Amino acid sequence: MMQRTAESGQQLREAARKLLKDKKVGLVVGYAKGTTPRRAKPAVVKDEKDADRLIFDETCGISLLPHLRKALRAAAAGTKAGIVAKGCDGRALVQYIVEGQLKRDDVVIIGVSCAGVVSPRHAGEKDAQELDEACRRCRYSVAPVYDVLVDGPARTDTGGHGPGTAEEYAAVEEFEKRPAAERWAWFERELAKCIRCYACRNACPMCYCDECFVDQTNPLWLGKSAERPDTTIFHIVRALHTAGRCVDCGACERACPLGVRLSLLNQRIAKEVKERFGYTVGLNLDAKPALATYDEDDRQEFIL
Amino acid sequence: MSSTLRVDKKDLDQLVSALVSRYRVFGPVELDGATLLREVKTADGLALEARALDGPAKAAFFPQTETLLYYDNGTAEPPPGKDKPTAIIGLRPCDARSLLMLDKVFSTGKYRDIPWQRRQDDNLVIGLGCGAPLETCFCNWLGSGPFDPQGSDVMLTDIGDAYIAESCTDKGERFLKTAFKSQVQRPSQADLDKAGEVRSRAQQSLGAAVDVSGVKPALASLLDSPLWDEVALECLSCAACAYLCPTCHCFDVQDETIPGTKQGRRVRIWDSCMSALFTKEASGHNPRGAAKDRMRQRVMHKFSYFVESYGETACVGCGRCIRLCPVNLDIRDVLKKVVSRQYTAVRAEAKGQKSKVKGQNAG
Repeated sequence: MMQRTAESGQQLREAARKLLKDKKVGLVVGYAKGTTPRRAKPAVVKDEKDADRLIFDETCGISLLPHLRKALRAAAAGTKAGIVAKGCDGRALVQYIVEGQLKRDDVVIIGVSCAGVVSPRHAGEKDAQELDEACRRCRYSVAPVYDVLVDGPARTDTGGHGPGTAEEYAAVEEFEKRPAAERWAWFERELAKCIRCYACRNACPMCYCDECFVDQTNPLWLGKSAERPDTTIFHIVRALHTAGRCVDCGACERACPLGVRLSLLNQRIAKEVKERFGYTVGLNLDAKPALATYDEDDRQEFIL
Repeated sequence: MSSTLRVDKKDLDQLVSALVSRYRVFGPVELDGATLLREVKTADGLALEARALDGPAKAAFFPQTETLLYYDNGTAEPPPGKDKPTAIIGLRPCDARSLLMLDKVFSTGKYRDIPWQRRQDDNLVIGLGCGAPLETCFCNWLGSGPFDPQGSDVMLTDIGDAYIAESCTDKGERFLKTAFKSQVQRPSQADLDKAGEVRSRAQQSLGAAVDVSGVKPALASLLDSPLWDEVALECLSCAACAYLCPTCHCFDVQDETIPGTKQGRRVRIWDSCMSALFTKEASGHNPRGAAKDRMRQRVMHKFSYFVESYGETACVGCGRCIRLCPVNLDIRDVLKKVVSRQYTAVRAEAKGQKSKVKGQNAG
């Protein structure tokens, strides 16, 4: 398993302290040590002294963007925020800026070189330690855009499952080869676990709609039951709404209390967006979102 | 008089068969990443060795989605059919205890809930003592323990190759007496010693209980405390804690009418006070519009209002909300903060500042 040195934590705390001291930011959104071995908790730090509780290690799997939005909303107008960002979080931040949800100057991005996070499944268990699947297929250990970069700890032993060791779309390609009936049965089994708690949606950096379609009640857009038709529609619509926007950080799957494998849907779409439009989400501040632009050279073979 | 039997693990199927012949049986089943209560027909696939149950016991009696009636142009009928009585096997003591609390809400208290009562009638709970509590377990804070018999009719203790089955109620006693066709062994002294060891080890592994008797009185002074702002900043406002909580029992009722007809069904669905929609009124006003209002409500309901209504705390210390919270919001920390009094002091200070500002405005 990954061995973390104290180094990155120290550098991170110093960076946060300095930003707060120099009044470059009014708050820093980061991670603090959690109460269970495999989960860090979000922390919003407002003064230098409080920066002592910031950490960065393999338990820091939460995407902090929902907390950034909340912290900025609660803060006085014009407040700038520092945010601790892994590679995936950095990509989500770029996408926020591309989508006009955030101005580049509103945030100071504290990049941390990430060696992957652990899956928090069975978080009460001391012995289970496994690199999250999203991290195995990840190609971005550092945020594409940052203001401060904190050195990551050296990766020593990842048990052969280090970040980037899996083919990016291996899981979805393997899945595509199965017969349709088998694929459908698999989805039915997965979705039977869903309890519509919306942890996936609320933990997702890209699900930032103020009012989600499932919360539209006048008239009701989607039934509220936890029966298959309703849960299926919820997940399909969410996947479609994050098409060309999902950074495949895996925060949704890590948030799911019942281990629903959501990311295959998102990955399938991300693969499509990459192949059709040559677009990878969240790498370039000047990018035009793949599904919000048009190019005459786009593939058109679907037009009969 | 209670009976104690030794049930070899290879004979578990006999026990399950006896249950299935009389009951609709639920038990823990592994579902790729989660262990949930599901209906079982045989001992195959029964995950009694799972470290914990991820879904709450309430689901067997108060399902997340339940059709109350079907309607058609002014007439209404309940769903057809009557289930056999319900049995659960392999329920941990925390979950078993939660059923007694919910019984007060749905059955023995002020209200009679027909679907709940129908399933609770003649039910049977085969508890499974908790040999290896998790780090998130805190049942001992709530006056319980890993082998608390409350809510179980029979309690199983895993001693390795066998379970020691002990009846905790008359109903459990009657069941054990008739469950096995073949001769069942009495446990040897060595078996009983082993079971005793398992129990004391489990109890010790929980660590010292924190005294939470001060929570309710302290909450009374924390209505507008900054504590809630602090906690809400971490919370994602999802419903994982409430839906997985064995004692949370709020629900919504919806009529689902087939478009263009007067036919449809009335359905009851779990609801959660953590959702903004929970209290949104028809006018658009929301009395609990902020996450902190909702967080406060959930804690208050469990540790104050429920105590007032039913005489006990609506928390069994199962720790599921801690273990499965996406952002590690730990109710144990919240309780410690509540009794610390540190937040009442801050509140007074904050209030002082507030009134000063008000005064300036008025001036």
